[in-house]
Amino acid sequence: MKILATVKRVPDPETSIKVKPDGSGIVTDNVKWVINPFDEIAIEEALRIKEKVAGSEVVLVSIGGNAAPNDVKEQLRTGLAMGADGAILVVTDAALEPLVVARALAKLVETEKPDLVVMGKQAIDDDSNAAGQMLAELLGWPQATFASKVELSGDQKSATVIREVDGGLETLRFPLPGIVTADLRLNEPRYASLPGIMKARKKELKEIPIGDLEKAGLDVSGRTQLVKMEPPPKRQAGKLVESVDQLVELLHTEAKVI
Amino acid sequence: MIEWSEQHLMIRDAMRRFVEAEIKPRLEELEHGDTPPYDVLRKMMRTFGLDEMARLRFAKRIAREKAVEAARARGEDVPVEPAHEADGATDGGAGMQLIPIIELCRYCPGMVTAMGVSVGLTANAILSKGTIAQKERWALDLFTLEKIGAWAITEPGSGSDAFGGMKATARRDGDGYVLNGQKTFITNGPYADTIVFICKLDEGNDPKERKVLTFVLERGTPGLTQSKPMRKMGLHSSPTGELFLDDVRVGRDHLLGETEDGPARSGAKATFTMERTGVAAMALGIVEQCRERSIDYARTRVQFGRPIGEFQLIQLKLAKMEVARMNLQNLVFRLIEMAAAGKSMELAEASACKLYAAQAAMEVALEAVQLFGGNGYMAEFQVEQLARDAKVLQIYAGTDEIQVSQIARSLLAG
Ligand SMILES: Cc1cc2nc3c(=O)[nH]c(=O)nc-3n(C[C@H](O)[C@H](O)[C@H](O)COP(=O)(O)OP(=O)(O)OC[C@H]3O[C@@H](n4cnc5c(N)ncnc54)[C@H](O)[C@@H]3O)c2cc1C
Repeated sequence: MKILATVKRVPDPETSIKVKPDGSGIVTDNVKWVINPFDEIAIEEALRIKEKVAGSEVVLVSIGGNAAPNDVKEQLRTGLAMGADGAILVVTDAALEPLVVARALAKLVETEKPDLVVMGKQAIDDDSNAAGQMLAELLGWPQATFASKVELSGDQKSATVIREVDGGLETLRFPLPGIVTADLRLNEPRYASLPGIMKARKKELKEIPIGDLEKAGLDVSGRTQLVKMEPPPKRQAGKLVESVDQLVELLHTEAKVI
Repeated sequence: MIEWSEQHLMIRDAMRRFVEAEIKPRLEELEHGDTPPYDVLRKMMRTFGLDEMARLRFAKRIAREKAVEAARARGEDVPVEPAHEADGATDGGAGMQLIPIIELCRYCPGMVTAMGVSVGLTANAILSKGTIAQKERWALDLFTLEKIGAWAITEPGSGSDAFGGMKATARRDGDGYVLNGQKTFITNGPYADTIVFICKLDEGNDPKERKVLTFVLERGTPGLTQSKPMRKMGLHSSPTGELFLDDVRVGRDHLLGETEDGPARSGAKATFTMERTGVAAMALGIVEQCRERSIDYARTRVQFGRPIGEFQLIQLKLAKMEVARMNLQNLVFRLIEMAAAGKSMELAEASACKLYAAQAAMEVALEAVQLFGGNGYMAEFQVEQLARDAKVLQIYAGTDEIQVSQIARSLLAG
């Protein structure tokens, strides 16, 4: 069985983010870049399936730059060191909106013909939470988003997925091929082991210029435009109140939340 | 080598994440309590596949030694392959060993000590001097940390002059030996499963002329007592204890090499060199952590209406920390390059390396305490712990004074 797992390069959630003075984006100097944490969970799930189903293959796919300071190859190699078998990077320096990402992934699915695509439920940089759903729509494949448990049938023809929905858990079964997007509790990703890091160097990391996909019909035109980024307002100092009555009063008159 | 490779950085990132997730939250119990470090160290070994790598390396080495032994038995003359060629190159070189040391030392230099003594000193002593059967019996479990090792030479009356004042003895007794003596400051002593015990063969002759013998002892052997951890200044994640041997009877199979005539101090130089160069990586971890913390603090702590980083006396401390970091990192780069070229440092260079590294770590850590002011003296900010830990680098593996005399001896020898 062949599994594609998606990888996006994002700022480390531990780094403090500064918005550029002109509001055109974030300051990227001295930012540490990592695999989007939800994608890391997706890779881990793909690897666990591979470990259960003999003869499986995990291929990482990403869209982004191939040279400093935006070199997604670093994150792909980390994924390879975790245990993926190969990686494909669609090379572009443009920041793409979810629909274009989904279209590009659909092109890769055409050529790679996976049985399952595992993705993070969202990327922690712009939190769109859209590419997985859009990819399913473009391909006409079934999807299970926000997965907290994934199980394949014995014949690997279908998947049963438990999803975290408002107020509870929902269990879905669907025929493969399909799309799963990973939620936080799906698994705990492994660290790349030292032998894994050594082996990663010899694994294939294929680069495809985005132009090649455009020639094959990929439409890179977007519909949204980044207008402005602003830092969140500075947190006000807290206030100690004397009594519950006063708290209720202030929540009503000052904070205006009740 | 002028910078870390992408692979090195990948190892560093993975290690750093592990340390932040598994060790940092437990720092209180590890560094301010008596929690032994072994479970965390074993988890690290498993997580990063280090145990598997150790098993493979060991299997290869034993297979090679057996082949050599068989060929010798047939009367063939087989050249002995230099150990580094067979061991180093395939598993990513010295960086693979040094980076985990650096990363652990940002929080727990004691853990590196506990691991280093078990794997570096104890297991390697058995590997370099033991028979094949002894290696298979004791060394592999030490390399994977399934068993914990201790290496015991220091005694209450003999430290820097370890061999000269040594009182621990072995007397022949039928086919075996009876061992007596007391060892102190022994890393992992309280918990060790396998102990390398260094003593002198008492044949009724003048102690100065006695042969040095090395034995392997197992926990629970009658007559062997392992003390509780001793109270100490720092390095709390490394248990240190005393060993008491009262008529401990062992068979000849416990004598390393199973011969009294092996070159007694063979391997000692290689061991000293390895220990001393390891200190450079330890010092780098301590210095990196102190430097990073200090930079953050200098930026954010405001006095007299300005961040303290704007005062020149604080800037001087930061600049010195950076100089120490650069020097130590360059030393580590040199170690990695030398290992890759199949070379190891001469003892005098390793001594110089250790002397500088220990002093740099101590100085930087104390300056970090100073830069943090009252907070520096408080445990919450961690630099006081690193300062207490750094001090040991100037004492064990040969004191500063002993390094100085060895460097000078080599300078004056020519
Ligand atoms: C935390 C810790 C862990 C240790 N772990 C182990 C272990 O696992 N196994 C083990 O066997 N040992 C271990 N040791 C012992 C360590 O190796 C010795 O403490 C060290 O070698 C110094 O010996 P000493 O303490 O007897 O000091 P001494 O040798 O008594 O030295 C006292 C002072 O005199 C100085 N001095 C001594 N000789 C000279 C000289 N010729 N010229 C100038 N100055 C001199 C020293 O530098 C020092 O300042 C450990 C020690 C510590 C603190």
